[in-house]
Amino acid sequence: MSAEAADEFLSRTLALCRRAKAAKIDVTPGRLIDAFRALDSIDCFNVEDFRVALRANLVSSREEEQTFDRVFEDFLSGVEEARQYRPGIRGESMQGSLGHHYKEMDQEVLTLPENFSAEALARDVDLMHRWDAAAPPIEQAVRELARRLATRPSRRTREDRRGRRIDLRRSVRRNTRHGMDMVELARAARRTRKTRLVMLCDVSGSMDAFNPFLLQLMFGLQQALKSSRTLVFSTQVTEVTALLRRRTVTETLREIGSTVRHWSGGTNIGAALAELNRGVIREGAGSATVAIVISDGYDNGDPRLIAREMETLRRRVRTIVWINPMYGASTFRVRAAGMRAALPFVDHFLPAFDAKSLKIVVRELGEI
Amino acid sequence: MPHTDPAPFSTVERLQDTFAAADYIADRALALTVKLAADLGKPMLLEGEAGVGKTEVAKVLSRALDTPLIRLQCYEGLDANTALYEWNYARQILHIRIAEQDHESRAHLEKTIFSDQFLLDRPLLAAIRHPGPRPAVLLIDEVDRADEEFEAFLLEILSEYQVTVPELGTFKAAHPPYVVLTSNRTRELNDALKRRCLYLWIDYPSPEKEREIILRRVPGVKAGLAASITTAMQALRRVDFYKRPGVAETLDFSRALLGLGIDELTPEALLDTAGVVLKYRDDIDRLKALGAERVIAGDLDLGER
Repeated sequence: MSAEAADEFLSRTLALCRRAKAAKIDVTPGRLIDAFRALDSIDCFNVEDFRVALRANLVSSREEEQTFDRVFEDFLSGVEEARQYRPGIRGESMQGSLGHHYKEMDQEVLTLPENFSAEALARDVDLMHRWDAAAPPIEQAVRELARRLATRPSRRTREDRRGRRIDLRRSVRRNTRHGMDMVELARAARRTRKTRLVMLCDVSGSMDAFNPFLLQLMFGLQQALKSSRTLVFSTQVTEVTALLRRRTVTETLREIGSTVRHWSGGTNIGAALAELNRGVIREGAGSATVAIVISDGYDNGDPRLIAREMETLRRRVRTIVWINPMYGASTFRVRAAGMRAALPFVDHFLPAFDAKSLKIVVRELGEI
Repeated sequence: MPHTDPAPFSTVERLQDTFAAADYIADRALALTVKLAADLGKPMLLEGEAGVGKTEVAKVLSRALDTPLIRLQCYEGLDANTALYEWNYARQILHIRIAEQDHESRAHLEKTIFSDQFLLDRPLLAAIRHPGPRPAVLLIDEVDRADEEFEAFLLEILSEYQVTVPELGTFKAAHPPYVVLTSNRTRELNDALKRRCLYLWIDYPSPEKEREIILRRVPGVKAGLAASITTAMQALRRVDFYKRPGVAETLDFSRALLGLGIDELTPEALLDTAGVVLKYRDDIDRLKALGAERVIAGDLDLGER
């Protein structure tokens, strides 16, 4: 390569990386440097190697891999106009079948579920209006809920001066300075075992009235238990865990609003549970997981599907909690068919519609 | 497996050959990622469904390079002591008692009991102190199972490749290990840790690759049987089972058929051995409902509800 050609090549590569960044891939300066260092050890004329080398350095999840591949294809085929990329709802459905000529239109068609409802069609929801900044803080209730649901004593121990057990190992180490005569004893208490939380939130149209509470709850629980995962569903399912980690509420709401295209859509609880069982839960739940479903139970799918998937979920997780804002008021009768189908498998049914009522039901919850 | 190629990392093709010599069929993307990890000195983060051979990459790498595999299996509650180093307290106490009888000086005693011979290397320190000549392979398996605090600690080790033991001083890796992290995505990893790593998602193998894996890993299987096993496995993966069968299941299945002396895959043979391939009762019921003949025929519409 001549010096000029090399310059041209590097600046094109940089443009590609910028494009990847615009497509929401976390391209940091450090990664960029490593990506360029990687070019030294590959054959840059091999397009496939070039793609894999850049990709391995810039992405860190399967979804990002797929986003990058799309950006790369577009870049090669010379699609220059800046386009708004967004991660697919379930990336897999798009990859193989799209082949090399990805177009935005195709993507829309391919991600439409068989049972889509008209409202679920792409739209930006302005969640800022649904965020109630003046709402009473939910943190306390959420912390309490998290504590009850998600902790239990582990077999392992940690250092604790008021602990009941004597930790021999640490005692010995501490007493080396006294010539191994046991002067002070180290004590230990049981560690608290953290449970993993998987949250499935209904964001269909019928839940709109409870959006402020729902958003608060999503934030609160994700904050309280950092390893938990949050998914929202209406007619489709989207994982929003990564979005909830953004620094500010405003940023998060904007991101969720533009990513979750089916907010305020129809409801298909059964399909959402099925996807949960085959996705997040299959990826390795283990018996320590607690599943929380937040939904009013109004559903336009098949209640039998709900029952079947709830039964499966029941076997996969330790506890199922259902928070239903609809029954927070005075009417306590379960009318929704979906809710009735699910109820036999629910361990804890919490009728709550705001921070205050949540606090009350959590107090009644008792230790799990 | 002796170390044959003196410079396996020089080209992607040579690395693929090295892996093949160790009975692992590596596609180009994987081989390239391994090469980049070696060239850039970055850890590799491998993700993929259970049973696609993530852990195997590290094992094969160590076998192919004829260098030790140091494995750190992560679990909830794994702490720095278990992962890094520990003092051998029992031996220390014993030594002190003996030293007392020998009237050893206190200063000398203190020096000896905190010396190398009383230090127990745990995986991370062992990988850093590996004397060479080639770097060791450090496998940090299922890193998503460890706690977040441990991840932060890991990040520090992986960026510096050095460890300080207060009583002994700092160890810096003379030959930084090849690091392979695997994750099953039970939770999101720390962003900083992810940024340190080269990422690769390992997918289920293509039919050609899967057939080659069977023939290579299960000697004795005839080409015809391997082909029909591959067809059936590829068809099964199109069904949304709770647990889709991976390559590990393919190999178990092949060995099971071989052990039973079956040379032709029939619907009865598949149903008799279904427990090797599918691990949930619901999934086996589903298979029966779908019909084993369709699976063996490689029916393309199998996944449709």
